[in-house]
Amino acid sequence: MSIFTMDKVKKSFTNGEVEEEILKGISLTLKEGEITALVGASGSGKSTLLTIAAGLQNASEGKIIFEGENINALNQEQIRKIRAKEFGFVFQFAHLVPFLTVEEQLMLMLDIAESKLVKKDRVREVERILELVEMDHRKTAYPSSLSGGEKQRVAVARAMIHQPKILFADEPTASLDSKRSKDVMTLIRNLTKEQKVTTLMVTHDEEMLTYADHVINMRDGVVFKEESAGVY
Amino acid sequence: MKLAWREIKNSKVRFIILGSIVFLVSLLTFIISGLANGLSADNASLIKDLPEGHIFMSEDADEMYNMSRIDRGTEKKLLNEREDASVFSIQMGFMNDGNEKQHSVAFVTSTGSDLFNHVEAGEVILDRSFEGEGIQVGDVLTNNQFSGEFIVKGFVDQKKFSHAPVAYINIDNYREMYRVEEMQLAFIPEGESSFEIAGLQSFTNQEFLNTIPSYSAEQMSLNMIVWFLVIISGMLFGIFFYMMNVQKIGLYGILKAIGLKTGDLFKMMWTQMLFITFISLVLSAVISQVFNGIAPEGMPFNLTMETTVQLSVVFLITGFIGSTISGIQIKKVEPLQAIQQGEV
Ligand SMILES: Nc1ncnc2c1ncn2[C@@H]1O[C@H](COP(=O)(O)OP(=O)(O)OP(=O)(O)O)[C@@H](O)[C@H]1O
Ligand SMILES: [Mg+2]
Repeated sequence: MSIFTMDKVKKSFTNGEVEEEILKGISLTLKEGEITALVGASGSGKSTLLTIAAGLQNASEGKIIFEGENINALNQEQIRKIRAKEFGFVFQFAHLVPFLTVEEQLMLMLDIAESKLVKKDRVREVERILELVEMDHRKTAYPSSLSGGEKQRVAVARAMIHQPKILFADEPTASLDSKRSKDVMTLIRNLTKEQKVTTLMVTHDEEMLTYADHVINMRDGVVFKEESAGVY
Repeated sequence: MKLAWREIKNSKVRFIILGSIVFLVSLLTFIISGLANGLSADNASLIKDLPEGHIFMSEDADEMYNMSRIDRGTEKKLLNEREDASVFSIQMGFMNDGNEKQHSVAFVTSTGSDLFNHVEAGEVILDRSFEGEGIQVGDVLTNNQFSGEFIVKGFVDQKKFSHAPVAYINIDNYREMYRVEEMQLAFIPEGESSFEIAGLQSFTNQEFLNTIPSYSAEQMSLNMIVWFLVIISGMLFGIFFYMMNVQKIGLYGILKAIGLKTGDLFKMMWTQMLFITFISLVLSAVISQVFNGIAPEGMPFNLTMETTVQLSVVFLITGFIGSTISGIQIKKVEPLQAIQQGEV
């Protein structure tokens, strides 16, 4: 049994009178420990699919099976718990908490995920991951004093510190220049490989596909093409 | 909770501004409430200092104490039946001192009850405020309705009626001055509320106070100000946290997305609200108590610790309600909304 599958997922929105079906029956499987990239034209429904997969909104129809459980059928609190403990998130912008220092952002995530680590181990874990994202020298800095790339690296650290099973990333590099994008992608790749995290990532950028193990191409709300990518 | 403190520390100025407004509003509330209480004592401490009980007026007096007459038969019956009962009269009038200076007073006389002071005919016990006007024990005072003279026997602390100092006189002198046999009012401490006397209407002490026209008007307007201020402070919290929350909608969405409980966001807000209110209240309570101690003699100001604590609790409750109402928007924030909005 695989860790995460989506089965005939549909999603419609009603805009005024008209009901529009954005996802028209998507089925996919995420391979454990692999990075799956989701590509497709703007408006094809990638973000919608990702947020449904991550339990941030409900599907109109279909099943989203995470570790054998259909999360589309869970209540809000159950889904929240899964998001807190089992999922990690990186978005286009870092969305850090403005009044917390870099290390406090990570401590907060451990709190939210109800980490079982004791204080001492939490501190060590924060140190470790900050070294990995090369932000250990800025651990007492506030987000306002960080560059865009630095913020995004902290966001990646925050998404990974609680050892999630699945990482959801929606255009994690879209706000960065090409050099910084590569840094962040390398980071995501290294971290997910090291922690054996399964990743679903939406991207626009062809270049980023080189970091993926698997590519799913969407068009008009259906999976149009699926292929394994050669790792760069 | 950590988030709450970190935000206060990081946005010190905002929270200090809110805190100082709450401080000023609560200080003003304490001062006005002290003034209301002081004025109420200045107006009617004679009645306010009576133990809980009932005051009786004749029914035909139409709730005006100086129109009331308790006939001798009823008086006798009452005093026989209840040995703790007392009948008494209050009349506004004037007394002249040796320098022909006129002082307005409230003459009070009563049958033998130790709730009121008693003097022999020709003597008077005065409210202590007379001391400040240079009257001493042994001085002689006169009244133009009274043939004799009053010798000052002593002073009592804070006994006022209708803002005039009380002058306790003998019942015989009273009868001569006002040419009446009957007393106006009867008082029964701790009287069962059902205690009924034919022809008499019963009032609790507070109800009686409210029949004094100046008293109710004064207290009502001051109490209204106090309640307005309390409501304003509640709204202040509501508006402050509303604005804070609106600015943080994006942040809340993200925190919810990564799994923070909505309840924790509320706890964060409540912690901040309690912290700010607590500090502001402690400051304004201390300052108003200091003011209570140093308020000038003639200023009717009396703020008890009890009133301060009661008002503080009310402030905390309104702050809580205000912030919670504005926090409803926290509950409405969708994690998605924030993510799609871009950078916070
Ligand atoms: N809450 C919503 N209500 C109505 N329509 C929506 C809603 N969310 C998304 N849509 C519509 O669904 C379609 C797909 O949106 P989505 O954000 O998933 O596209 P996308 O593939 O991520 O595009 P992009 O590459 O530009 O980010 C769009 O036409 C969008 O207008
Ligand atoms: Mg998108």
